[in-house]
Amino acid sequence: MNPAIAVFSHSEPLTLGVELELQLLSPRDFDLTRGATDLLGSIDYDGHCGAIKLEITESMIEVSTLPQRQVDGIAADLLGLRQVLVRDCARNHIVVCGGGTHPFHHWPDRRICPGERFDEMSHRYGYLAKQFTVFGQHIHVGCTSGDEAIWLTQALGPYVPIFIALSASSPYVDGVDTLFQSARLNAVSAFPLSGQCPELRDWAGFIEHFSFLQSCGIARSIKDLYWDIRPKPEFGTVEIRVCDTPLTVERAAALAALAQSLVHHLLRTRPRLDAQGHLQVARYNKFQACRYGFDAQISDPVGRRQIPLRTLARELLILLAEDARVLGCWPWLELLDAALITGVSDADWLRGRQARHGNLNDVVCAAARRFSSTASEAVAGRSR
Amino acid sequence: MFSHLTMPVRVAWEDLQERLFFLPPFPDELDPLALFSMLLVVGLLVGEWLRATLGWPKVIGYVLAGTLFGPSVLGWISIEALAQIRPIADAALGILMLEIGRRLDLRWLRDNHELLRATLGEITLSFATIFLFAWAVVGLIPAWAAAAAAVTMASAPAVVLLTVEESGAQGQVTERIILHTALSAAASFVVFAVVVGVVHAEYSEHWANAVVHPLWVVVGGLIIAWLMARIALLVAALLPKRSLAQVFILAATALLAVGTARMLAVPVFLTLFLMGVILSCTDRQKTLSYTHLPEGHWLLAIILFVVVGASLPWPDFTWLIGLQAIGLLGVRALAKIAALAWAGGGLTGAKRVLVGIGIQPLSATAVFMAYEIAGLYPEIGRSSLSLPLFAAAIMELVGPALCRLALVRAGETVDTEKSTGGVA
Repeated sequence: MNPAIAVFSHSEPLTLGVELELQLLSPRDFDLTRGATDLLGSIDYDGHCGAIKLEITESMIEVSTLPQRQVDGIAADLLGLRQVLVRDCARNHIVVCGGGTHPFHHWPDRRICPGERFDEMSHRYGYLAKQFTVFGQHIHVGCTSGDEAIWLTQALGPYVPIFIALSASSPYVDGVDTLFQSARLNAVSAFPLSGQCPELRDWAGFIEHFSFLQSCGIARSIKDLYWDIRPKPEFGTVEIRVCDTPLTVERAAALAALAQSLVHHLLRTRPRLDAQGHLQVARYNKFQACRYGFDAQISDPVGRRQIPLRTLARELLILLAEDARVLGCWPWLELLDAALITGVSDADWLRGRQARHGNLNDVVCAAARRFSSTASEAVAGRSR
Repeated sequence: MFSHLTMPVRVAWEDLQERLFFLPPFPDELDPLALFSMLLVVGLLVGEWLRATLGWPKVIGYVLAGTLFGPSVLGWISIEALAQIRPIADAALGILMLEIGRRLDLRWLRDNHELLRATLGEITLSFATIFLFAWAVVGLIPAWAAAAAAVTMASAPAVVLLTVEESGAQGQVTERIILHTALSAAASFVVFAVVVGVVHAEYSEHWANAVVHPLWVVVGGLIIAWLMARIALLVAALLPKRSLAQVFILAATALLAVGTARMLAVPVFLTLFLMGVILSCTDRQKTLSYTHLPEGHWLLAIILFVVVGASLPWPDFTWLIGLQAIGLLGVRALAKIAALAWAGGGLTGAKRVLVGIGIQPLSATAVFMAYEIAGLYPEIGRSSLSLPLFAAAIMELVGPALCRLALVRAGETVDTEKSTGGVA
């Protein structure tokens, strides 16, 4: 057993961390370009807002915030990281952009980044490694113990469709409208250990399960578990991994606010979990959210009925209002509520641009402008 | 040579003509289309063979085919045939120059001042060292030394573009090679126009030539380029972006610009380059930004480099000129590498050197430019410009390989995918 997995690091409860995988584009035609290694080598940055790292292919770059107690801190870090990236990308004739998939890139053109881990992934997963040029947001929430992380991994499970719908920004793949709101997760599902965490009692149960996977030669490290929600022992967090990278950093911060408020609420109320029941409907509900977004019909294994996702999400935000106010992140949840009221997700926004321009190059150009735009910083500044 | 081979056929044909009145006279020259297709096949075969057996860029094969079958060696392509096929070579060079102009994004220089420093350094140092070498070492008079510098200071846009396309290169070294190639080409065109004036001032009996001819070249090129770019944008705006119709509009206006420039004796390479730059700078709605040239431009490129290979003045070769050309290329290489190593704009030292190596090619533009200047006063121009022409001849063969080497070592080509990362 890897010692890093056996020991669950201490972390301050409810602290947040956000990772965003971002697209690197050519300003000529807004197709993906290669350049992550050189970009990273040329960046003049002291790490005061978090880290900037390589991802699997040269057309991706990952930013991660510092651990923060408040969502405002996450927003400030993301704005700072965006500023650094936009500036340094321009110095290298690259444009940076959000969104869960690049609408029209040709995946065989992608190039695996140098590095032992990426080489190993490429060798192990073959063409899936290049097709994994999709862009997600991961949200970490600090846990006091491994037991708490495992409980939260399962308690958060039923809310996965809401996170998917609120972040959905990947309607196009290979130049085609997939009719999905989030097509990114279809690329993730190809990996053998993707999906839901099995029913586990506690941290000891997780260790037992992971040891089993290791001894069968299925998993070597925690990174092999592509679960929708997983514990992250080296950080001392539970990690929500189903979100597309939104088109703006403000939406990314708002999703972090949802995660923090939800975890606060769950830990406060400690509801009784029906992990078995949830696991039976989890894949269906996830498909519904990916395919239909706000218009999905979510199966309730307890009430044996279907509920519109939009209703569920709005009820959840009302339920979390008190927790969010305690945490000082209610204004961020209002941003999500506004999206639910108008019914316009990032995926819808991209489709609207396609209807206006009639070509995907202009759609990506508009998305890149939106990501880099400082117009909405006032929203973040207000709550800072 | 061909006339000996065809003599029996000619005799038989003329015998038949007495009985079969519909027969045309025995054709003395190849039909231009037949010549086009023959050059295409020969260039293609040699290029593909070199690529498959030695891994060399195809461009080298095209040039070798032209040299081998041209007037200098086997003589299968005559000087008259070269003149016949010249419009196609002009169109090919023009389309490639249009493309390099379209790729010139001046906003990059605004965002990265170090790149501006690097490019100014590279242009100044290249011109100065070549001029000094040609004047002080070779002993050319200042006017011809300046002409030699104008012709050879820039990289070869056509070679760079084709090598990048052929190797599927993408990355920072590739982008910078394209940028510096485009900028040095722009600078060399300005110097070229000035040198035209200087040469007239030296030899013309009427001073007006020294003033009006450079203006004719620059202003004429600008007007044609602006007009064609406007027409292209106006018509393309009526069509769906990235549609085949837009590709046709782009290609058609480019060919119209080539034809107009030829009619008005304005250099085609300059006009089309300017048209590309104007398209890049004025296309705010991105009407044509996403429209790529058809793959067919490779066919034209083959003809271009076969013609360039056949145009090289190998019969005039002497060991002294050969040595002088190597010396010129040596100082030119040092100037380019030193300037780019000095200011890298964010790249590591090793990759800056690779950019310097990648911009070494010297080719079609230089040859065509040399013939433009030499054509002003043919009796003296040809001999005075044999130095840059031989330098270009050497680099026709070495340049594509150097450019490819830089891209491969940078780890930015498709072939180098297995070797992770190239030079860090």
